[in-house]
Amino acid sequence: MSTEATAAAHGTGDARAAFREITHDIAWVAENPKVPKAWYGALGVGLLLLSIGGYCIYHVVMTGIGVWGNNNSVGWAWDITNFVWWIGIGHAGTLISAILYLMRQGWRTSINRAAEAMTIFAVMCAGIFPIIHTGRPWFAWWMIPHPNDMHMWPQFRSPLMWDVFAISTYATTSILFWYMGMVPDLATFRDRSKSKIRQLVYGVLALGWRGSARQWHRYERAYLILAGLSTPLVLSVHSVVSFDFATSLNPGWHTTIFPPYFVAGAIFSGFAMVMTLMIPARYLFNLKHIIKEEHIEAMCKVTLATGMMVGFSYSVEFFIAWYSGNEFEQFTFLNRASGPFWWAWLSMVSCNVLIPQFFWFKKCRTNPWIIIILCIFINIGMWFERFVIIATSLTRQWLPSTWSYYVPTKYDVGVFVGTIGLFLTLFTLFMRFLPSVAIAEVKNTLPEAHAGKEH
Amino acid sequence: MDTPDNTSVENGELYGVLAEFDTPGALIKAARKVRDAGYTEFDCYSPFPVHGIDEAMGIKRTILPLLIFGGGITGLLGGCLLQWYCNASAWHWNVSGKPLWTFPITPNNVPIAFECTILLSVFTSFFGMWILNKLPQVWHPFFRLDRFAKVTDDGFFLGIEAKDKRFDLAETRRLLESAGALEVEDCNLDPDPETRRMPIWLYGFIIVSTVFALVPFALIYRARASHSKEPHYHIFSDMDFQAKVKSDTAFDMFPDGRANRGEIPGTVARGWLEDDSAYWRGLTQDQGGEWITNFPAQVQITPELMKRGQQRFNIYCAPCHGYDGRGDGMIPQRVRKAGAGALLPRNLIDPKTGVITMPNGQVFNTISNGYNTMMGYSAQIPAQDRWAIVAYVRALERAQNAAQGDVPADKWNEINGATP
Amino acid sequence: MSATATATLHPDEKFKAGKAGQSLFRLGLVGFIIFIAASLIFSTSAASHYTAEDLKAAPTLSASGMGRFFYAYLIGWSWILSIALGSLLFVLIHHAVKAKWSVTTRRLAEILSSTILWIGVAGLVFVIPVLAGNKDIYYWAHPDAHFPGAPGKSGWLSPAAWAARYAFYFIIWIAIAKWFEAKSRKMDEIGDVAEEGHTKTLSARMRWLSYPMIVVYALSVNYAGYDFLMGTAPKWFSTIYSVNFFGGCMMAAYASISLFAWMLQRSGRLTRSVNAEHYQDLGKMLFAFTFFWTYTAFSQFMLIWYANVPEETVFYNYRMFSEWSTVSWILLFCQFAIPFTFLLSRWTKRILPVFVAFCIWQMLFHWVDLYWNVMPHYHWGADIHGSAVSVTGPLSGPVDNNTISFNPVDVTAWLAMLFFFVAAVGRGMRGNLIPIKDPNLGASLAHENY
Repeated sequence: MSTEATAAAHGTGDARAAFREITHDIAWVAENPKVPKAWYGALGVGLLLLSIGGYCIYHVVMTGIGVWGNNNSVGWAWDITNFVWWIGIGHAGTLISAILYLMRQGWRTSINRAAEAMTIFAVMCAGIFPIIHTGRPWFAWWMIPHPNDMHMWPQFRSPLMWDVFAISTYATTSILFWYMGMVPDLATFRDRSKSKIRQLVYGVLALGWRGSARQWHRYERAYLILAGLSTPLVLSVHSVVSFDFATSLNPGWHTTIFPPYFVAGAIFSGFAMVMTLMIPARYLFNLKHIIKEEHIEAMCKVTLATGMMVGFSYSVEFFIAWYSGNEFEQFTFLNRASGPFWWAWLSMVSCNVLIPQFFWFKKCRTNPWIIIILCIFINIGMWFERFVIIATSLTRQWLPSTWSYYVPTKYDVGVFVGTIGLFLTLFTLFMRFLPSVAIAEVKNTLPEAHAGKEH
Repeated sequence: MDTPDNTSVENGELYGVLAEFDTPGALIKAARKVRDAGYTEFDCYSPFPVHGIDEAMGIKRTILPLLIFGGGITGLLGGCLLQWYCNASAWHWNVSGKPLWTFPITPNNVPIAFECTILLSVFTSFFGMWILNKLPQVWHPFFRLDRFAKVTDDGFFLGIEAKDKRFDLAETRRLLESAGALEVEDCNLDPDPETRRMPIWLYGFIIVSTVFALVPFALIYRARASHSKEPHYHIFSDMDFQAKVKSDTAFDMFPDGRANRGEIPGTVARGWLEDDSAYWRGLTQDQGGEWITNFPAQVQITPELMKRGQQRFNIYCAPCHGYDGRGDGMIPQRVRKAGAGALLPRNLIDPKTGVITMPNGQVFNTISNGYNTMMGYSAQIPAQDRWAIVAYVRALERAQNAAQGDVPADKWNEINGATP
Repeated sequence: MSATATATLHPDEKFKAGKAGQSLFRLGLVGFIIFIAASLIFSTSAASHYTAEDLKAAPTLSASGMGRFFYAYLIGWSWILSIALGSLLFVLIHHAVKAKWSVTTRRLAEILSSTILWIGVAGLVFVIPVLAGNKDIYYWAHPDAHFPGAPGKSGWLSPAAWAARYAFYFIIWIAIAKWFEAKSRKMDEIGDVAEEGHTKTLSARMRWLSYPMIVVYALSVNYAGYDFLMGTAPKWFSTIYSVNFFGGCMMAAYASISLFAWMLQRSGRLTRSVNAEHYQDLGKMLFAFTFFWTYTAFSQFMLIWYANVPEETVFYNYRMFSEWSTVSWILLFCQFAIPFTFLLSRWTKRILPVFVAFCIWQMLFHWVDLYWNVMPHYHWGADIHGSAVSVTGPLSGPVDNNTISFNPVDVTAWLAMLFFFVAAVGRGMRGNLIPIKDPNLGASLAHENY
């Protein structure tokens, strides 16, 4: 039912019906006693994949990372590919939350809560990999600077330590920002709760929020500043991840464009993932009038734009490889296209450069099935991009005697599948138990929010 | 519906009045009116921030941004200090030749300094905002009014507290009604002041749970500095227990119960052939040979060898045989003093004991393999040193059994003090 | 996050350029002539590419300081090009995202981007000599320059190919700038309707074309940055180089648009159409791109410093361990640290005198940035063994030899380009200074910030 139908003029008629409708429609997702079967299905699949992954992680930790396919020159493979892939996916959430807020794009309010949740879950999935890939993850706490009897301190000059700080700052900021945004909506849930448990849980989480204007004032300032802080943060996080590669000497890794190129790629894959999640969600939970077609279309355009930035970076890298006269760099790029991993490179280019071109066409931007399929391919392509970067450079390094090949084992795949399960489980639970759309923010974008004001 | 929600027989103290408005615009107008009328203890309530209400209510800009800036600077300086202290001061170590620290900051320290800036700013924003907003505050008197539940849905309210200086129930109600309120409702506190006091059991719970939460830390702290006769816990056993057999331990897989398998018959370890019977055993040949009477070819009698022999004799032999070789060293003296019988190391220099006439090879053999209660020293003293000791023993013997003709002329004069 | 409020143009608002364009043009022309003359005079006393020792050891090396003139001219020219290019993207992005707040400043950006044609003409001052065989402007035109390991690079960096690309870039940019300005001005006449023979309205067409043109823009600016600026040290390379240049272009554009609006307001025009809200937004974007420029500059520096590969670090060697280190420090503090700190607060962007001062500051240090990027490549090393002289080009020879060798031509050439730009802006300044019939004009006039 369209909210435009309700009167927006000076207080006559029931202008507030629009607000009640938003509250009801969004809260219904959590309150509906009859949960859509697809939700159970998604949760079931998520838990199944999670348990597979849980077993695989247990086996990797107890036996050692020798159960993976990593070998001597390919020290990083699926583990780091997955890490970068997940972190990249998380970035769209922050972009939607923070950057679109700074750009005053009201359409973000329908998707920002779910996108922020997606960021947090993606970062959780990503964080698993750096920890278990060390082989002795129980020593992970050594990376936190603390006085110890060995008088040892972490090596802060290493990009891997920068990762520790960047990812933890990112996770912390995302969680705080997400929670802060949810407090007014948790208060809505609290006020609508019928059962004592729900009242207690939502009541505690809502911190006693009562919509006081004086509190809104500070809240809004903090929100704006957090959005302003999150923007350089999200740039820095994936830049720091790109530094893991770019600070090295490996051909194909050491190139100055990596930071903005990785950030653009992250936003690209993140938006694709947001759409993959939001399109089914809006149908399943009857949120089509809140998460509107124009919003999806706008996301498709952003995806296209960032995809073109990624394609642009490919071309620049290739050009400079030739221009530099560095034979190792030149070989690396030719090897990507014609060496043993040519099929991965082909997937990467077709999914990241060709597939997004479909979004030039309005038909493709408005058909939900086409969008989901394209977005899944984009995410596959972005996975291959990280894999191509890592594997082609490591399997063909400087000395031909070190050249090798890489084949994943079932534990590589199992752990990855497990993180997908973790993500799916958490996201499914979030959709059902927490306010999945930013109720207060959506209300603020309605024309009724200005009812009764003098111009 | 205007029915009072307090179903209790009496109402408690009046907290204030709550007026409901139809639209955000009406709320703003009312807020302006209330502010212009001089009220200060009032607030507006809405499901979303109403644009324009800050000016209408006269809300002053919050100092939060300044606090956040301060937090950010602290984070920046803290991040720099952390890295400088850890990597350039407390334990400065050279990593691929990069400078320990350059002013104002080394390029490779920028990312972490940046993240620390952001992190501290974020913490200040988040916690600062809640603290300044005095939240969590899970209860507020207006929650006693049923209609207030709409504030998170579609309700727009303005509440004035009774403690405001200008508050007068009738006047204030009239003002709100004239400002366009749909309803104005009194809000009374619960008559029982106990309901506003935190129950004692809750205090107790907080204290007890905090104490319990600290117990694991206390245990860990204690354990870190403790001593125990028990073997320590191997939480992460790492390589503490290895699937291998250590040398010189018992091992029941072999009939002799030992882990050590000893030497393999028919083999000699490299460098251990020792086939030169003269040098290694002092024999002219191993089977049916005799003691050599001179020194082996590898042993050159030089002043250095003699000095070495003296030094080694004094270390290994003198405790029993004495520094002069007469057999009355420190250990036999102590044995006598302790009344533990007699220990009689051989007198090496007396012609009557027969050492002087022993061939060099036999002396070497005695040092190596021992004699009677004397243990062999081949484990402690390498062969070359043993020959040096043999040479020194010979020197000792010669010195104690010398004739005048053995002394060089200039030395004789020195000893006797004769003027040349 | 509010629904749009709108306002209407005040009846007393002066939005026509009137004769102001012509006075600007005259001013610019006079200034240009004076400073070009001054530059040519100063260049006679300018240092040559080679050190005094090299010149003494090898008399065949050219002692002329004309190379300095061309370098200074190129730097000043890049400075005005960056303003025009940044303004062009401002226009494209405005259409692509259906921006509302920037409607009142869009025509100013269109005027600034319309100068691209003239900048293309001004560039011929160094393009034609290169085509004619001048070896003192770009080292790759020198016969001693060769590029082992890169097959075809000598062909790519040959005068004919390079000049062809020059023409190609400018044809693209001029076409884009002209088309968007033409349609925008057409809208002033007929309103936001479809022109004859088209079904889409003007704003729809501009939006529709802006997307592919952004792609074309990105590619052309990227390779133009490599060709004009990075090519001054043809043996060095960095994939992010043009992204950094682009950041500088956007900084320059936002500062210039703000300054343009301010100067027009001092003449009594647009006094109500561009207010503190718009300046705050322009300031926010200036801040954002200052940060972006710093981010790309730092990425380039840190990655090259960290990996310590000599063929890359040579760029920074010459800027850290010679006289140029002072300029490097100045850039760090004045292009990043100080503007960043000051532009954080909303007040510095809303109080016009303060904001204008920062815009001027950023424009000045943007020139210093371009100067720092190009001028250290002025000193060319030479390998001299008796009569065998081989010019090794920029970033070679002892690092200490790379003195700044400042000559007044460095500044006068820049000023000449500044006045040239002013003249070109004057040429473009005609008709309405705001798009009076743009459908989002009302929203732009009523725009309010947080």
